[in-house]
Amino acid sequence: MPTVKINGVEVEVPEGTNMIEAAAMVGEEIPHYCYHADLTVAGNCRMCLIDVEEGGRGPDIACNMQARDGLAIRTDTEQVKQMRKSVMEMLLKNHPLDCPICDQSGECRLQDYYMDHGQHDSRLADPKVTKRKRMDIGDHIVLDAERCVACTRCVRFGDEVTGTGELRLFQRTDHTEIGMFPGERLNHEYQGNLADICPVGALTNKDFRFEKRVWYLKEANSVCDGCATGCNISVCYQGSEVFRYMPRRNPDVNASWICDSGRMRYKRHAASTRLLAPRVDGSRSSWPDALAAAVERLAGKKIGVVLGTQATLEENHLARRLAEERLAGAMIFVLEGNDPGAEESSDELLIDADKTMNRCGAELVASMSSATAGGEALKSALAASEIEALVVLRDDALGRLGVEAPPLVVFLGDQANSTSKAANVVLPMASHVEQPGTTINRGGRVQLLTRGPLPVGDALPGVEAIDRMAQLSGGSLGSTEEWAVFESLAQSCSALSGMTYGALGGQGLPLSLASSEQPDPAPAPPAK
Amino acid sequence: MDLHQKVLSRIWDVDGSHTLDVARANGHYQSLEKALKMQPAEITEEVTNSGLRGRGGAGFPAGRKWSFIPGPEKRGGKPVYLVCNADESEPGTYKDRFCMWNDPHMLIEGMIIAAYAIDCHVAYIYLRGEFRPVQARVDAAIEEAKAAGLLGKNILGSGFDLEIHTHLGAGAYICGEETALLSSLEGERGQPKLKPPFPAVEGAWRCPTIVNNVETLSAVPYIIEKGAAGYREFGTEQSPGTKLFSCSGHINNPGVYEVPLGITMKDMIEKVCGGLPEGRTLKAVIPGGSSVPVMTAEEAMNANMDYESIQEVGGSYLGSGGFIVMDDTTDMVAALTNLLRFYAHESCGQCTPCREGVGWMYRVLQRLCDGVCTESDLETLLDLANNIHSRTICFFGASAAMPVQSFLAKFRDEFMARIDEAATSLAAPLPVPEGVLDQGAP
Repeated sequence: MPTVKINGVEVEVPEGTNMIEAAAMVGEEIPHYCYHADLTVAGNCRMCLIDVEEGGRGPDIACNMQARDGLAIRTDTEQVKQMRKSVMEMLLKNHPLDCPICDQSGECRLQDYYMDHGQHDSRLADPKVTKRKRMDIGDHIVLDAERCVACTRCVRFGDEVTGTGELRLFQRTDHTEIGMFPGERLNHEYQGNLADICPVGALTNKDFRFEKRVWYLKEANSVCDGCATGCNISVCYQGSEVFRYMPRRNPDVNASWICDSGRMRYKRHAASTRLLAPRVDGSRSSWPDALAAAVERLAGKKIGVVLGTQATLEENHLARRLAEERLAGAMIFVLEGNDPGAEESSDELLIDADKTMNRCGAELVASMSSATAGGEALKSALAASEIEALVVLRDDALGRLGVEAPPLVVFLGDQANSTSKAANVVLPMASHVEQPGTTINRGGRVQLLTRGPLPVGDALPGVEAIDRMAQLSGGSLGSTEEWAVFESLAQSCSALSGMTYGALGGQGLPLSLASSEQPDPAPAPPAK
Repeated sequence: MDLHQKVLSRIWDVDGSHTLDVARANGHYQSLEKALKMQPAEITEEVTNSGLRGRGGAGFPAGRKWSFIPGPEKRGGKPVYLVCNADESEPGTYKDRFCMWNDPHMLIEGMIIAAYAIDCHVAYIYLRGEFRPVQARVDAAIEEAKAAGLLGKNILGSGFDLEIHTHLGAGAYICGEETALLSSLEGERGQPKLKPPFPAVEGAWRCPTIVNNVETLSAVPYIIEKGAAGYREFGTEQSPGTKLFSCSGHINNPGVYEVPLGITMKDMIEKVCGGLPEGRTLKAVIPGGSSVPVMTAEEAMNANMDYESIQEVGGSYLGSGGFIVMDDTTDMVAALTNLLRFYAHESCGQCTPCREGVGWMYRVLQRLCDGVCTESDLETLLDLANNIHSRTICFFGASAAMPVQSFLAKFRDEFMARIDEAATSLAAPLPVPEGVLDQGAP
């Protein structure tokens, strides 16, 4: 591991680290436009020019400078300040400066760096070069070539990530602009990322354009529930309204990307399909009445509890305990497949054919119980009336199995589906962005969801809803703080041993390989 | 010193010099026979010892460049490429066209020897887009050489194989820059690549690649024939050999001349170029193609035609040998504006200072020409040039900045005169966008 010096501060960095990353490790931000950690180095914006003190010749760009022993750079010299100011001046020279009507305002590198490094008076006596504006280049993206700084991040994204290569540089000199060949449009499932990686307002997301100034938005770290990949996202919301999902970098899962269908799932938050209030036999009810109805009707029945492949580990854990400790003789099921109506898509990059967020987690929890089974077993049990009542957690159990509803169905979840429609009692739960929790993705990575906006309507956090059922059925299952539920689960499950919310942090942890129950990172299917 | 030494242009005057028969009758391909009996490393050493410097403009020692090719054990099975840079696009430079037109076999022979020295089996000649007739002639010469067993498989029974392909560019100045040339050759947009890695380590298709100018490669057969010492009989200690100069401007006999390096610039102008037109006096010289700093008449009269003297006396560079002479009728503001018009049109648009700055400099100069200017424009101009120089991916930024810096330093009074005129003129027009740069596509 080479040791480098940044502004006199020594730091040991991994082999192959460039000086932008190395400087970040000592808290020194080197401004940059074209460099992106998940793309190749282009070195064209020249914003990261730094002085080389020892071990090279300067000035040079930090992004293309690999750490090596003896290298010492400075970012605090007069020359560096002057270079940054000059690059800012050049970049803004033909920029339209239309911040008041630009959606990038507030998250624009031109604005940020101008305040930090520019602050110059205009010397421009000549007319600006004008370029094409408001070009509809794809289903999700609008291009404004005038705002572009030609950093080519979007070009490299198309070349290196999606491999579709639609965007190119056209023309030369200060007429250089991003564009596409005639008749082409963006042709991939990852378009939204183009707007994310664009450091300026050249590429904007059609869906988010003119919806909200970004400085009003709060962000919560979460995980996409669109498929088993578990891409890390930031949920951007104001009050109880969610405005967008943004990818959150996790080199072990999704790099810096998410797919478009995952990105658009933010709309489910306020969709008409959200379950807003408890219902009993189709009529709006209150929590106490609905809970009482559920518990009374379940009493004495042969019960099946369907764990949720879209529910968190905590919800599944409490649901399992509810089944085992409060609903005597209940069988536990985890259903294969996707809910009816789920997209059928998959690719090599991020999109998984399994459209559940937490199948691994549900199966892991189920495996802790001796009385668990899959969909076929449930189907035959229902047909033979061995199961008279179902408690369903989030999944569309009836839709997946393609069966008629048994005499009693209690549904807990946030989205309406055929099971919730057939359910006698519906208990509305918070969505996965409205409550904390953990999920396990297809690769066996345990990832943390944090609380974003408040639950809509009368929805309650999942663990609380389940515990209220337990309270009426014989007593609380313990704390309903999600972190406490997780820790009690981690204590009883060796695959999670030692994990806490704090330890999971923003990037998650792989399932413990030392576990004897779970030799494989992906849990084994539950015994039939 | 004899002002004319014919090494490269030896058979240019012979009828049919571009044909294999004439070339062989004049001794071509004898060096190749000799070279193929030598060890590749011996050839590189001989070229290194000859002091042959890259004739494309940078003047980097050719033998040293070849020695940067990693050994076979470090290449991981990757092939080595030799690329001849025949993009010759520097304004004022047209010597490579003469080399290829008059004596393509000397280039081919030089390329075979160079390829043998660096263990290359596929070589390319990248010609600028306008050189279509030259390409036809070079292609014909390659075919002749192939038919005679001088190219292709098992050259002259030595077991060495080499194919040479020609490739025509699409007319961009920047493709004369070696990494942009490689991008273009690969079929990509012609723009320079980041260095490091240098082409000798990772060049065409990410394989080790040597890019040499036409004139550089054409000099190789002579060095093999006469040895390093023979080549060093011409020129100076630091700048050995002969050099082709493309002479243009206010001289009586414009043309390409081969002279030994180190002759005086005075002789160059007065004797080789036939002097200035009657009644004119020398004002300035651009000694190495449009990118290098301009020299004043006084500097020119004290400089010699070699790499070191031009740098020491004139603060300029020998460059590609595009020797542009300007007499006292030259309007230096207009001359600089004309140069910048070229650069503002040719910047590849990749990196910020050059993309935005060169067009800006041109527009300021246009206003100077139009008399819509103040003294602060000169400061802006110089500041822009300083902010572009050395801060770009390739040398283009410096190439556009150096003329501005040197014209302003050496002929500032002419620029000031424009500003004074503008200040006294009541009817100074408002700035109006016009010219090729503001009409959409450049």
